Amino acid sequence: MLRFTLPILPLALAVALVVWSDRPAPRADFVFVTRGDITELDPHRASWLQDFRAIALLFEGLTANDPFDPDFRPVPAAAESWTISPDGRTYTFRLRAGARWSNGEPVTARHWVDSFRRAMLPDTGCEYVNLYQLIDGSREFYAFREAQLKTFVAREGYAFPLRAARALWDEAATKFDELVGVRALGEHELEIRLYRPTPYFLDILAYEAFAPVYTPLTDLYLRPDPATGRMNPESGWTKPGRLVCNGPFTLASWRFKREMRFERSASYWNRDRVRVSSIATPTIEDPNAQVLAFRSGAVDYLTDVGPDYKSELIRDKRAFRAEHAGPAAAARAEGLSEPDVDRALPPDPRKTIHTFPTFGTYFLNFNCSARLGDGRDNPFADARVRRAFALAVDKARITDQLRRLGEPAAGSVVPPGSIAGYAPPGGLGRDVERARALLAEAGYPGGRNFITVEILFNKEGGHDVIAQSVAKDWRETLGVSVQLVQKEIKVVRTLLRTNNFIVSRGSWYGDYADPTTFLDAHRTGDGNNDRRYSDPGFDALMDRAERETEPGARLELLRRAESILVERDLPVLPLFHYVSVAMFDPDRFRGITSHPRQKQKLYLVDRRDDGLGPDEPWRDRPALEPPDAPGPIPRHERDRP
Amino acid sequence: MSLVRRLLMVPVILLVIYTLTLTLAWAVPGSPMEHEGRRPPPEVQRALERQYNLDSFGSFYRSYLLNATGLAYLRDRWNGTLADEELRARDRGQAPPERPVFDLGPSLQYEDWRVNEILASSFPVSAAVGLTSIVIALAIGLSAGVIGAARPGSWADGLSLTVALAGISLPSFVIGAALLMLPGALGIPAVGGWGTLSGLLLPAFTLSLAPAAYIARLTRMGMLEAMDSDYVRTARAKGCSERRVLLGHALKNAFLPVLSYLGPASAMAMTGSFVVEKVFSVPGLGQHFVNAVLNKDLFLIIAVVMIYSTMLILLNLAVDALYRWADPRTA
Repeated sequence: MLRFTLPILPLALAVALVVWSDRPAPRADFVFVTRGDITELDPHRASWLQDFRAIALLFEGLTANDPFDPDFRPVPAAAESWTISPDGRTYTFRLRAGARWSNGEPVTARHWVDSFRRAMLPDTGCEYVNLYQLIDGSREFYAFREAQLKTFVAREGYAFPLRAARALWDEAATKFDELVGVRALGEHELEIRLYRPTPYFLDILAYEAFAPVYTPLTDLYLRPDPATGRMNPESGWTKPGRLVCNGPFTLASWRFKREMRFERSASYWNRDRVRVSSIATPTIEDPNAQVLAFRSGAVDYLTDVGPDYKSELIRDKRAFRAEHAGPAAAARAEGLSEPDVDRALPPDPRKTIHTFPTFGTYFLNFNCSARLGDGRDNPFADARVRRAFALAVDKARITDQLRRLGEPAAGSVVPPGSIAGYAPPGGLGRDVERARALLAEAGYPGGRNFITVEILFNKEGGHDVIAQSVAKDWRETLGVSVQLVQKEIKVVRTLLRTNNFIVSRGSWYGDYADPTTFLDAHRTGDGNNDRRYSDPGFDALMDRAERETEPGARLELLRRAESILVERDLPVLPLFHYVSVAMFDPDRFRGITSHPRQKQKLYLVDRRDDGLGPDEPWRDRPALEPPDAPGPIPRHERDRP
Repeated sequence: MSLVRRLLMVPVILLVIYTLTLTLAWAVPGSPMEHEGRRPPPEVQRALERQYNLDSFGSFYRSYLLNATGLAYLRDRWNGTLADEELRARDRGQAPPERPVFDLGPSLQYEDWRVNEILASSFPVSAAVGLTSIVIALAIGLSAGVIGAARPGSWADGLSLTVALAGISLPSFVIGAALLMLPGALGIPAVGGWGTLSGLLLPAFTLSLAPAAYIARLTRMGMLEAMDSDYVRTARAKGCSERRVLLGHALKNAFLPVLSYLGPASAMAMTGSFVVEKVFSVPGLGQHFVNAVLNKDLFLIIAVVMIYSTMLILLNLAVDALYRWADPRTA
């Protein structure tokens, strides 16, 4: 018998070792679960919402939005103060003298310059490089580097191509200081010059893509490509033990498809404001398992509740609110946010689900080009046709009967109430008669001779039922034939890019506090203008807004531009504004914002009754409050220098 | 063909598989760099594609081969590039970037992870679950087969046939979900996830049922055939106990077909299952077989296909080697 069991033994040991190495870790103070995996921690290369949420824990920008300010205003963060020149183009930032990287080194203005340079280099592949290009000379620098690389490729036969690539890179670094309006005026003084005044620039700086990276580390992960001369950025530096950051938390562990863990940074200048000492985010893929984990207490915050029964949970929450209508109304009258209204009501399991408005809109794209991809004439090139199709759609059916999440039907692309001082136009409602008349006017009475309309959408996410509902409206009111075309998301994107669609589903989330974050994608030739919409009047208004320095007049110009989009030309048909459906117990946790911008700053999260910071009154508190008596410092931090 | 010659053929087979996989994956419509949401400026898109050699099949084919086989590493060692890198890192007081000898490239979907890291973290998990499931399958399958063959047509034989049928026809997500709900239904606290004993045994048991059924049928058939043969009659005539006849003589021969089935079955089990990993939240390799293709994550697609092919080839070789030892007639 021994003959058979002997070879099994080492195998059994190996199996036991594999399982043991993944034994459950002790619970963190705050555990959250996002919809998708966090895939990228490099602020200059990330593009997903969940990535930026983690980046916000690790890195701190010059400014940060205060999620508990009704206007989501940017407040001082890594910069303690700033001055803006009278022409609105030059910003001078005073950096915090006490700010440190997680390796203990002070954060200096030079670090900021180097980090900005990294983001602006074409080699880095920063998806938000066009926002960086608001800075004077940034475009020229990008073009300079591209030209440099072109000559590298043209001139073949370097004896030492790697050395040549590095030499070019050093040359580009020198050129940066010459060309670009980012300068270190002193150890802690940073000047940024813009090429045009940008009233929302402080908000852009609060965007996580503008967080600083520690270039002495990231430069080591540049790998010169002997064929192209590019310095390709590699990702190994974002792992625990290597990552150097300047934010409220440090990366304690990151185990692929298992868990990511953050610990309160001992070197963060404002560490007393941080009220949880550890945050974890495990990978739980199944949406139902996520809710079960929340209910069992293993998870404290679900950023996106997935299962279909979420609409029932929301209905229960409404019933709960109705039972306490009086106190809820009183709390609201006090100006409290929705989570704070919940806190004013008695404890109840039904109040753990929350629907918050977001900075995102669901819409349909109409192809506006004169010809379709297959060469046919495109009837949707006529704005009257697009308006007719828009007027025929019953948006309320989609929001009330299909989605059932309390999402508001959308008239505009910019969600109302998301940008301070901007009231988007009302858009078009449903008007069947006018729709028919418009289609007849365009030459298709009763939908005769109209092409078969194809609605293109991707498989995931329940787009099929929305497309069916829209198709029904179009068939019944306009008499056209409609086909649904379902493809993989990557195929959908390619079809959009190559103009091979008629109507498609689309959505957009804004990045910064200005209507242009939604409207720019409709400019002639914009890279995100899938619709190939082009209107000189719209472009002219956008250009005028760019030059306008008076904020009120500027927003009015943008409102007029948006009105062209959603009331006259309809290259997009907004259907509804997304809500985010989250789960957390407001009586146990605070610091999760209900503002439509929905940029969660989880370093502001506070757990009740954990002895860290005062708990009364149990309300959300602004990001920069006057410092109170610091709470006891957790043991593991006390021993550090 | 001798084993040595077959071993020498392995790299050639792998090269053919690599070429086929890359050609097919390359032909899948949609760009790996396209995803939902904002589109980066076109020049950034181009820069990203160039960084990963996605702009040309030829350069991708070549560079992947150089990196994965370790030739690129040797070249960089040889010409001092790596020494340079280490020196630069030391100057700044940092650890130099890790440069694996066999570099399977970055993941396009999990952008901060290299494929090497992904495999290192998920392959052992799948292998552990798979090995356990094969052991369970052998235990269930062999005993059911022997019991069935000992008394063909009896209720025990009927039961083992029923279990085998159920094991083959019930999909793993049904069995898995039922197993997950069982503790709740019995009032026992819910089972732990991956990293606990039940986190290993439940998915392993779910995975084991189909091969167990197959093994049971193979064993039963082989046993029945052997029971009719001369050497079994001789053994009985010698006065061997029935137990010794069954386990010592008949099973030994009946096991041979099971052995040849074990090669592909272990390769399959040890590379994970998409469904079982999803149901039990196991961070294994199986999910990447599906997700990598959906995301057109070229580097990961190639890696998982290569892992599976390598396992299949090596385990089949191992089975053949074992065969020679178990059945001297084939040597």
